[in-house]
Amino acid sequence: MNRRKFLTLMGSAGMVSALGTAKVAKAGVHTFPYYPDSYGVLHDATRCIGCRRCEEACNAVNKLPKPEKPFTDTSVTGTKRRTTAYAWTVVNKYKVNGKDVFRKLQCFHCNDPACASACFAKCFQKQPDGSVTYDGTQCVGCRYCMVACPFYVPGFQYDEAFDPLVQKCTFCEPRLKEGKLPGCVEACPMDALTFGRRSDLLNLARARIAENPGKYANYIYGEHDAGGTAWMVLAPSAAAGKQDQDAKDAKEEKPVVKNHEDEFKQLGLDRHLGTQPMGELTYGALGAVPMIVAFWPVLFGGAYAISKRREARFKAEKEAHVEATKNDLAAAVDAAVRKIEETQGPGAADTARRAMAEALKSREMTSAAEHGEDK
Amino acid sequence: MRNGTVLLLLAALALAGVVCLSAPGTAAAKAATLASTDSGAPSAIVMFPVSAKPNPKGTAMTPTVFNHLNHEKAVAKCETCHHTGDPVACSTCHTIEGKAEGNFVTMERAMHATHIHKRGNGTTPTSCVSCHEDVTRKRQECAGCHNIVVPRHDAAWCASCHNVTTSITPEQLQQGIDGTLSLEQRESLAADTVHTPKPTRMLTPMDGPYKVRIDALAEKYLPNNFTHRRHVSSLMEKIRGDKLARAFHNQPETLCSTCHHRSPLSATPPKCGSCHTKDIDHRYPDRPNLKAAYHLQCMGCHKAMNVGRPKNTDCTTCHKARQ
Repeated sequence: MNRRKFLTLMGSAGMVSALGTAKVAKAGVHTFPYYPDSYGVLHDATRCIGCRRCEEACNAVNKLPKPEKPFTDTSVTGTKRRTTAYAWTVVNKYKVNGKDVFRKLQCFHCNDPACASACFAKCFQKQPDGSVTYDGTQCVGCRYCMVACPFYVPGFQYDEAFDPLVQKCTFCEPRLKEGKLPGCVEACPMDALTFGRRSDLLNLARARIAENPGKYANYIYGEHDAGGTAWMVLAPSAAAGKQDQDAKDAKEEKPVVKNHEDEFKQLGLDRHLGTQPMGELTYGALGAVPMIVAFWPVLFGGAYAISKRREARFKAEKEAHVEATKNDLAAAVDAAVRKIEETQGPGAADTARRAMAEALKSREMTSAAEHGEDK
Repeated sequence: MRNGTVLLLLAALALAGVVCLSAPGTAAAKAATLASTDSGAPSAIVMFPVSAKPNPKGTAMTPTVFNHLNHEKAVAKCETCHHTGDPVACSTCHTIEGKAEGNFVTMERAMHATHIHKRGNGTTPTSCVSCHEDVTRKRQECAGCHNIVVPRHDAAWCASCHNVTTSITPEQLQQGIDGTLSLEQRESLAADTVHTPKPTRMLTPMDGPYKVRIDALAEKYLPNNFTHRRHVSSLMEKIRGDKLARAFHNQPETLCSTCHHRSPLSATPPKCGSCHTKDIDHRYPDRPNLKAAYHLQCMGCHKAMNVGRPKNTDCTTCHKARQ
């Protein structure tokens, strides 16, 4: 195989692989299968009163360390708390058009979890029951999952000197297996958390929106956000708080905000995540990695080998040429000396041989100095 | 004769009493006429199911008698109902089948639609039902109940508006649908309906228990002694004499049916625990468990009526902590 053939072959192979990965990215193949019978929880923010019973129950059933402030202190909901390795769920207070609305935060258990797509140790798994579980035995502590999570949920055991782990809501998977409800769902005194099959919850959420016109924002957060999540949120309608104001200046009637972005923004839920699973944004690029791993060594190794071989051949040719010239010169010198010997005797021949050898040597020296040593 | 003055006084008193007692009677005798409106529109209107193709048998939905006078007083401007700005009859554009002039919005929709999209141009049309729902959800004295329940849409609910007097003849109905019924006949039908007495005697707070001990769930907290009578009388006091409430709370137990919802109206309704189980019933995932059912009803009503206390998270105000 010559160089041209090799390069043509490698080039076309590279093109095919590039096209192949592009196709993968476009088709949006899920690396995690969608489980139609998976469970979920619907959080109705209009019902939540911010009592923190869910936090208390979560702490108890998961045997987490006691927090500094007791769970009876509801004032902590005023600060925007985040989930940590030791508080897997938190309830925060938001102002939606001037009215207090509480929202619970925990792992949303995405249908196609970003944490799992980011983890190269395969610690995260989407289970058929809907939960996203974490197995820390292979965790290297890179915390890529924490970077990847669009909801900032996983927490890291920063205080652990040896083998710190990532911790987050488990959907009470051990309890689900025992046929029990998740701790928080069971503890909620307002049924602001409804457990059920995700598909049933969607119907139920729609029914609630339809039966109470004006109460809810006409949007189920998590139905499609970030590719769909097992835990979903219903928000109060932004208009619900505005009623009194509306009555006063009825003239300034505005068309309803499209897609209810306003309500969810005020409730601290981003609508900018889009409907695509986070992982899908990277599958295309990451799908190309095996191609690169497979082809680049061959491509560049081949190119290197070719140039090396070419160099070696060139050098050998050059050496042979130099040798031939040398031999030619020696033969010419010999012939000249033999002629001198015949005509002028051996003494003159010796002098001529020496002079010629010296002249050749000095010339070689100068040419070597001019061109440098060629290795 | 000193007793004579007393007798005279007594006689005068008796006379005054007779006059007072007979006064409502005289008003009833003049039933045929109604108080006139400021706008000049008839005080009460019979709304017939106007159709391009009247049913030859003369059967149709019972017409509604719309009390224009009462509604005129209740809304700020005519455009609330006459949304085009032109005070014509609704049936000009909204007929049973719908017409191009009315954007093919049928009469049924024009009167009953609830999820009306807000228009950008400032005037969003309202239907009877949507406006009534809106008012009852906003008025503080109504908001408590009307924010947590939606009235059951049964025959009694329909009949509270579709209430034209039973003395209407099939011929009159057919003529009304055609638009050929004479003005006098229409007015007399409307007046007859308005003056038909509604003999509903609402249940009183005294018909219910004084206090209800709620102890089915008492575990962490002591049982709650719910002041049933106080709650009912407070609600009734707030809507006493309210025309809207009187027109639509037309069953003796209507007011009971907010808390005692979903079961048939009764003076002795079933307990909450009959349907709401302690643990959620997996067959009915949206039916709140008993604890949540109590909390949602109590807090839902208190929140809607702006009852400041107790705070939602102040558990021991309603049920004392167990020592």
